[in-house]
Amino acid sequence: MEIKIPEERIGVLVGPNGSMKNLIEERTRTKIDIDSDSGAVHIAAFDDPLLALRVMDLVKAIGRGFSPERALPLLDDDMLMVEILDLSKIVGTKRDMARVKGRIIGKEGRTREIMERLSGAKISVYGKTVTLMGYPEQIRISRGAIEMLLDGAPHGNVYSFLERKHQDLVREELKNTGGL
Amino acid sequence: MTEEKWGIAHIFASFNNTIITITDLTGAETLAKISGGMVVKAARDESSPYTAMQMAMKVADAAKDKGIVGVHVRVRAPGGNKQRSPGPGAQAAIRALARAGLRIGRIEDVTPIPHDGTKPKGGKRGRRV
Repeated sequence: MEIKIPEERIGVLVGPNGSMKNLIEERTRTKIDIDSDSGAVHIAAFDDPLLALRVMDLVKAIGRGFSPERALPLLDDDMLMVEILDLSKIVGTKRDMARVKGRIIGKEGRTREIMERLSGAKISVYGKTVTLMGYPEQIRISRGAIEMLLDGAPHGNVYSFLERKHQDLVREELKNTGGL
Repeated sequence: MTEEKWGIAHIFASFNNTIITITDLTGAETLAKISGGMVVKAARDESSPYTAMQMAMKVADAAKDKGIVGVHVRVRAPGGNKQRSPGPGAQAAIRALARAGLRIGRIEDVTPIPHDGTKPKGGKRGRRV
């Protein structure tokens, strides 16, 4: 399996003296081949093809701006998903892109932080993409919020939407753990 | 018969539905198939990962009844001028197939990629999410 990541993210994937790459390879018993000129990453699994799939998610997440520390749980948790939203299809001009990205991130990252806290998903805004990482339900909520922002909704509305969904999440969790 | 019988699991995962078809190795004979609507009632749940897991459990049972011990996997997204990356059900389905006791062989992406084809839908300003 092969994917491409931006050149400047290759260093992050490899890590100091290849430590990150080695760690991933050892943990998952896979072989990661990186072509540092083109940014092509080739993943081969020795025994478990499912693990290779998860390594691919991990590489994708790192390639889309997540730090390895934030992305590593992908290897351990089955239900964690990565979803990439491509802004370039929706936003036309460069100036629009900067504006839209700014709206998603917020002043000093406030909006992004609030979205992460209330939805539970991790969010990375990088280049022309927004990447979400989390459980399917969390991703659904944070995607909803981001789509609202893209539509031009005021931040206040988005926060109250998130607040509402957050309540639902908490209630759902109580139902599941409380046994009632 | 001591020989192990393998099959191919074709998984089509879009954002609206997931379809799993298990065939023999030639791909011509369907052994078991299932789609989102066969396990859940609500249309919006058809593509969810949880549904995909239940679906995978069911087809895996049906396939095992027919003597399949393992499957190669072909994942497919809508492709063409639509999105190229598989929907949320794909990964969940593969994992659930493995957990249901089917061995997983090779995993392949068979999303149709156009060598420049037709115009994607949406107007001049693109799809406004």
